[in-house]
Amino acid sequence: MGNAALLPVAFEVILIAGALLVLMVAVIADRRRSVWAPIAGVAYLAAAAAGILQWRAVAESGGDLYFSTPDIVIVRSPMVVMDGFSAFAAILLGLLGFVALLGSWDLVVRLGKRSAEFVALGLLAVAGLHMMAATPNLIVIFIGLETASISFYILAGFIRGSRASDESALKYFLLGSLASAMFLYGIALTFAATGSLTIYGANSIRDFFSVAIITEPGILLAGLALMLAGLFFKVSAAPFHQWAPDVYQGAPSAAVGLMAAGIKVAAFAALARIFIGGFISQIDAWAPIIGVVAALSMVVGTTMALVQTDLKRLLAYSGVAHSGYLLATFVGGVEGVPPMWFYVSTYAFMVVGAFTIVSVVNGPAAHAAPISSFKGLAKRSPEMGWLLAIIMFGLSGMPFFAGFVGKVFAFVVAGEAGFLWLVVIGTLATVVGLAFYLKVVATIFAPDESGEGLEASTSARIAIAISATVTVVFGIVPWPLLEVVRDALPI
Amino acid sequence: MAGTNAPIECKGSILVLNQYYDDYITVAAFMIMGFVLVGAAVMMSRAIAPRAPGGLKDVAYESGIEPIGEGWNQSHIRYYIFALLFLIFAVEAIFLFPWALQLEYFDSIGMGVFALVEMLVFLVILFLGLIYAIRKGVLKWE
Amino acid sequence: MIVTTTWFLLLAAALFSIGVAGVLIRRNALVMFMSIELMLNAVNLTFVAVSRELGLIEGQVAALFVMVVAATEVTVGLAIVVAVFRTRASANVDELAEMKG
Repeated sequence: MGNAALLPVAFEVILIAGALLVLMVAVIADRRRSVWAPIAGVAYLAAAAAGILQWRAVAESGGDLYFSTPDIVIVRSPMVVMDGFSAFAAILLGLLGFVALLGSWDLVVRLGKRSAEFVALGLLAVAGLHMMAATPNLIVIFIGLETASISFYILAGFIRGSRASDESALKYFLLGSLASAMFLYGIALTFAATGSLTIYGANSIRDFFSVAIITEPGILLAGLALMLAGLFFKVSAAPFHQWAPDVYQGAPSAAVGLMAAGIKVAAFAALARIFIGGFISQIDAWAPIIGVVAALSMVVGTTMALVQTDLKRLLAYSGVAHSGYLLATFVGGVEGVPPMWFYVSTYAFMVVGAFTIVSVVNGPAAHAAPISSFKGLAKRSPEMGWLLAIIMFGLSGMPFFAGFVGKVFAFVVAGEAGFLWLVVIGTLATVVGLAFYLKVVATIFAPDESGEGLEASTSARIAIAISATVTVVFGIVPWPLLEVVRDALPI
Repeated sequence: MAGTNAPIECKGSILVLNQYYDDYITVAAFMIMGFVLVGAAVMMSRAIAPRAPGGLKDVAYESGIEPIGEGWNQSHIRYYIFALLFLIFAVEAIFLFPWALQLEYFDSIGMGVFALVEMLVFLVILFLGLIYAIRKGVLKWE
Repeated sequence: MIVTTTWFLLLAAALFSIGVAGVLIRRNALVMFMSIELMLNAVNLTFVAVSRELGLIEGQVAALFVMVVAATEVTVGLAIVVAVFRTRASANVDELAEMKG
């Protein structure tokens, strides 16, 4: 059991050790100044570095699967898997966690001693998120989902005595637990139909489909539908999206970036791992469901975002629409995974950047972020104004920004799979969506009488600059990232 | 009533079935004995004990001192944190039982140390959680 | 009368449906919360019944993990409900209408 056995779990080990270290330093050393935020930053970067090592190890072996457990145990069922897919998720989530931590630095400073818990919960959540992408076992996916979700419930309600924050936490908790339970029941019914909880290994779901004639199609379909519903809930796809605006608005702005972006990355990764890795032979059964939900999300998200007056709620509904575009990649089967990765990785950074700007303008613990408060932002702080405008262009899918490239590839995949109606709806939704993104941009550059200056901390500025850079760079030269995600498939 | 697993024609299997129910006769006998003994004790005391109702005898017994306040009492909100902590630590013990059952098997395939270390890692994490709770002052009654 | 696995699966499905209905219909946060626990226990029943029917140990192990996850959810959920109760003196979710739009 040398490094070879530890490498597949290195990401989780580093982050969980980091979280424990943060908590122990907080109670034993009992420092006034928060030393734990740097510890967490190092942990995120080390975890991302572990992801790069995983990527190289997989590439050197020619794209083989690695299991963390010795051979004898694999025969039963592998619990952790290391492939291009999980390694890419590790790099992405590690960097995302780091940027989100920079973006929430102001809140960490303001929380004082309590910030140790805030930072540790972020670390645990990211570890759980990666677990969802790096396991072939459905129960471990569920445990990863719950690790992340429970951490996010607490983060949503982290502002003590704030009625909005409490409300956000309770809503997120009740509806999130409902979704988790549905996902779990889906796993149980799939287990009943196929007799397996694992995607690879002995007696796996894949083995089942390669040899068996399906005797219980009803139970299997019910299981697949419930698993889909649970994950749709987590990515706030319509019609399972109602919680998202309230939760995003009530939660502290500095924490929403990680909550919104992280769960999307991991839930789409889990969706790809389960449905494209395990149930690809049943694609005719699940692709139409995903197509309909994708179209519904695009339409509902776009139309609801048009009438929003609060930027956090607007971003929540825009997230619903983006879930729709992301789901559109899934109807293409394996072909859809690289576009999904490209889209979700650029989108995740844009979301973190956008919420960081919200927390700079309206305060990191505030829950309201009326669009009117961004009036004349370009004048008050040219830097913030331009960066927010870039991120808005990226989210809207304007050419030369990353969102455009992602959408084009998503639509190409959906069109090749024969879902032309989905492409038409998606294109229309994108055009209509320009309206509300450009409304925000117009507000930023509107003349403002008050013209108060705006101070942003260095860390927040770095976080926003990184996300804007991602938006621009991968919008103009997307090929390097596209080259990489081509190898990040759930084999 | 009778399913496929309980053939009726065969005499031997009825015998087996009877033996099966015989085991329950012991249980039933114990239950009846229990009721009889307790009932007899209660009746005996009813029959021979002298009776003088009223006065202090109707007051709830509180170790000899006079009771203060109502019988119903609200418990302090602090109990709830103790209860939550207890819940977590009690439920985590679930993982110890299957591990303990399989430890010999793991040892037989030469992975005993591995299994032991894995469980130690788990317990250390739980222990750190306990340290955190103590240092946070959650377990202090102030 | 032989109780087959199907019975267990039907009972679990019924319990799960009761749980879903409870979450969607009831308005008290604690009762909704209990309904979610009911759903998780229905899942556990499914896991154990299927596991026994197929002679696989995985389902029973899954049930153990689900129990622990459920306990964690209870801990966090109760803490959130108490926090809400402190600021509002009510656990009725209809009164949670701070944010709309």
